[in-house]
Amino acid sequence: MTRKDIIEMIEEMLDMEVGSLNEDSILSEIPEYDSMTKLSLIVMCDDEFDKKLTGERIMGFSTVKDIVDFIEE
Amino acid sequence: MAFFKFNNIRVAGVACAVPRNVVETETYKPVFGDEEVDKFIAMTGVKASHRTLEHQTCSDLGYRAARELLSHKGIKPKEIGALLFSSHSPDYRRPSTAFVLQHRLGIPEEAVCYDISLGCSSLVVGMQTMASIMNTSDMRYGLLFVGDTAGKSVNPHDRSSAMLFGEAGAVMLMEKTDAPADQIKALIRSDGSGFKYMIIPGGGYRNLHASEDVVMCDDGNERSLMNSFIQGTSVFTFTIFDVPRLIKDFWSQSGTTAQDYDCFAFHQANLYILKQIAKKTKIPFDCLPITLDRYGNTSGASAIVSLCDVYGGKDENKVIKVMACGFGIGISLGATSFEINTADILPIMEDDEIYTEGLITDPNQLYEKK
Repeated sequence: MTRKDIIEMIEEMLDMEVGSLNEDSILSEIPEYDSMTKLSLIVMCDDEFDKKLTGERIMGFSTVKDIVDFIEE
Repeated sequence: MAFFKFNNIRVAGVACAVPRNVVETETYKPVFGDEEVDKFIAMTGVKASHRTLEHQTCSDLGYRAARELLSHKGIKPKEIGALLFSSHSPDYRRPSTAFVLQHRLGIPEEAVCYDISLGCSSLVVGMQTMASIMNTSDMRYGLLFVGDTAGKSVNPHDRSSAMLFGEAGAVMLMEKTDAPADQIKALIRSDGSGFKYMIIPGGGYRNLHASEDVVMCDDGNERSLMNSFIQGTSVFTFTIFDVPRLIKDFWSQSGTTAQDYDCFAFHQANLYILKQIAKKTKIPFDCLPITLDRYGNTSGASAIVSLCDVYGGKDENKVIKVMACGFGIGISLGATSFEINTADILPIMEDDEIYTEGLITDPNQLYEKK
């Protein structure tokens, strides 16, 4: 799975149009990225990538790139 | 592993009471906005909850439930050998609320009475404690009280919690029997690294005179140190990873599978969490009662609220196999399995009685001549 595919999955999870996000997109500027969609992100990382995303780690994410880096770790 | 097995002990009855006052989640729209409230309802499933009056406590509700249950079973208070009150909402900072209930119910001095300080895991840990006490003595009956009034500590402008919690008081009667096949099993885990995830930081002896100033927190909600705090994402990660693992370990230790149970009386944390847990453990969702839609998250009482909602007052007489699971503040989590006759499950009651003798608003009430 490419980094672009992962970004597309994030866009789908946030109910955003494909292509609306890129690696540099700042999470605090995305209104759809709220406390509830953060939970969906935890579920997505577990279901799709078998990765455990903790509260502390998610608080450290500033950009979409941070999320993709975590998934690819 | 903290896996426990008790023979000759059974669950002889459960009952619960909720306050009459219903708060519909929609009524928070003027405070939080339509979109926020709709999203909250969609994710958590809480459409309404019951909230206590100012001086009404979950021991009042538990008292009503216990009185009705003992009357239903034809059991006299003098037959009760132990009374445990497992909650984070005691009537007083001290003494234990168990003593107030003992006094109100007329339970004799020979009884063992004390509080256990837990929230959402109250029922499963309380059952293990009660079974342990009964196992090593000759007492016939034990009464376990659970429930919280979490709503009283939430800041009314905290959108993460103000609409989530409901209030209830529940009771479980446990009985020593002659039948070794009457078994209760329990698995308990603890994770103190998460002690800050669900907390009221002030008012305890670490910071007794904590400031009551309301502060805008980084998550966009207002709270003071005397309000309850929940780190939503950290709690969520724990529930979807550690709770399914506990459930599977419980099945492995007890030699059972999901198919061995008629009912999964699980702590009503929120609908999204319950769906994730069911998905990961392959528990059939139609065997997992949901009461949080009408009663909110009722903390330690929620498993009993679910049993009473589904089976209470249905005039049936069948023995069902139940798995209960509680998880939350501490972090404390656990699972138990037991059988219960549906005739011993009372329907949910509504009550607004307050034990006025226990309400002290003037210091000199403690010095009144009798």
